[in-house]
Parts: sequence; C-alpha cells; structure tokens
Amino acid sequence: MSTDEAQYVAAHVQEALARDHRVNEPELGVTVVKGRVVVSGHVPSEQRREAVTEVVRECCPDLEVDNRTTVARFPEADGVETVR
Amino acid sequence: MIRVAATGDLHVGPDSASAVGEQLRAVGDKADLLLIAGDLTKSGLTGEASALASQLRGIGVQVVAVLGNHDHHSDHPNEIADLLRDAGVAVLEGEGVRVDTPNGTVGVAGVKGFGGGFAGASGAEFGEPEMKAFIRHTKERSEALESALAELETDVRIALMHYAPIRETLQGEPAEIFPFLGSYLLAEAVDRAGADLAVHGHAHRGTEHGVTPGGVNVRNVAQTVIRQAYAVYAFERPSRDRESASVGSYPISEPTT
Repeated sequence: MSTDEAQYVAAHVQEALARDHRVNEPELGVTVVKGRVVVSGHVPSEQRREAVTEVVRECCPDLEVDNRTTVARFPEADGVETVR
Repeated sequence: MIRVAATGDLHVGPDSASAVGEQLRAVGDKADLLLIAGDLTKSGLTGEASALASQLRGIGVQVVAVLGNHDHHSDHPNEIADLLRDAGVAVLEGEGVRVDTPNGTVGVAGVKGFGGGFAGASGAEFGEPEMKAFIRHTKERSEALESALAELETDVRIALMHYAPIRETLQGEPAEIFPFLGSYLLAEAVDRAGADLAVHGHAHRGTEHGVTPGGVNVRNVAQTVIRQAYAVYAFERPSRDRESASVGSYPISEPTT
C-alpha cells in the first residue's frame, strides 16, 4: 500500500468511526502503518472499544487492526481552582 | 466561596450511563452546582438521554447544561433537552439561568456555539450558501450568548458553551481542524457582555486553561482534558449584594431558538 493510499484508508476509517452508530466517535485518531490500522484515543466503555475493532475490520478486512483505544476511567475531582 | 463543578463530553450510551452516574454521585459534596458543556450523549438518541437523565435525577445539586454536536447527530435535540429538563437539568440554548446557592448567586448563560475559526484563520459569510449558513449559524449563536450573558445580574456570571471561544484551549488538537472546534465570535460575545468564567468542551485533545482577548478566564472541561470526572472552580464572593439564599434555579430569559 502506498503512502497516499494509506492516508485515504485512514480518512475513510475515521469517517466510519464517526458515522457508525456502534461507535459515533469522530475524535479517535487513525493512522495506517505497514498494513496495520492503528486507532487511538479514549472510549467510555469496553463495549464501545470492541465496537471500534468491529467497525475497522468491516472497513478494512484485508488489514490488521491495532486498537489502542483505552476505556476512560475518570477519578473524583481532586482539588479546587480559585478563579480570579 | 461559590464552588462550580464543570465537565463535558460524557458521550453517554446505555453502556456507560451507570459509570457516569457513579462519577458524579458525590458532586454535591464538592460544589454548589454542576455544569455540563455538551456532548451528553453518544449518538443523540433519546434512549441515551433517558439513561443519563436517570443518573442525574437527584444528585443533589442543580445541573446546568448545553447540548453538543453529538446530541444533534440523530436530529432530536429538542427531545433530548426535554428529557433532561424532566430530570431537573437546566438545558440552555441562547438563554440564562440563575442558581441561588448558600454562598451567593450564579448566573449561567449557555449556547452550543459552532465553528468558523479564529482571528487570522477564520471563515466568512461569503460564497456558497452552505458556507454562508455555516458562519451565519455561529454569528446567531454568539449573539444569543451575548444577550443572555448581558441579562445576568448575579454574583458570578458564567458563559457555558460546547464549542471553544479561543484557540489557546485547543492546543494539542491538529491546527487544521481548529475552524471545526470553535470561533472567535464566541469570545467576542463573552468579552462584550462580560463574565467571570467561560467554560467549553468539544476539544478532547485540547488544554484546560486559557483567557479571552478581553481577559475572561476560559476552561476546556472535556473529561479527556481535565482527566477527572469534573473540575471544581471556586469564586470568592464578589461585592454585589446577594438577592436570595435559597437553593434553586430560575430561568431569566426565554430561548432565542
């Protein structure tokens, strides 16, 4: 796959992750490197993380999926900022 | 001290509603009210809004929110806003709300906002109808924010948006997408009307702290930016006289859309 083709594939995967109702996350990062689709960013649940893999596989059945998204676990607020 | 909790970009679906509820469960111990800067839902579905509403009902503080682009995705923004209002959330779009706390009054003016970019790299209401409509929408929402802010007569005044008013809180995002993340028109509205704080979300890879050209503090409270369930901002009580000590919320203007 040429560099140009890889860019187009990455853009189409990003579009699919934004539009597919299982994910609907346009904010995820997507790159295609040496035949692998690498997805990064945060998702709110393990179910949505698994959906990322499904959507990318459906988009690119001939490419390896490297799902590096993490399930965000945000702690209680720590500290207070005084606004002046 | 008046304490305001703020968060954004929850992207709630049935798979994550209970986790979000757990994150926000103790907010009443730490703040007098909670702001949510848009993208409450994943896909803008009413079922997602219902799931979040059930978590927000009874958390013990007034919740004030604006919708984000995710909440518009399925073309049901009004239904989503109504479901949240039924749970006691003040959902703002071109309007303000006053929240009376034991420590003073807080006024929040809210709009979703929109894109267009920032000074030196911004779109104009010119050319194709689609481009003119894009910028016109941002102008309309910015004007609505300015009007709603100007009506607030409270100890603390806050502008609540989904889209960003300044580029500083976008640092970390690719510069190429800044025009899709916010507009200088929102900052101009804030500076004209005046505010103690401007809060937004939308830019997941951005930066928490910034300031408008007119000197108003801006905070990007997308959860992936603040890396906690919510941030808490405290305001020393200003010199304005407090009107009431009761806790509650009161709409102070009608929606403009």
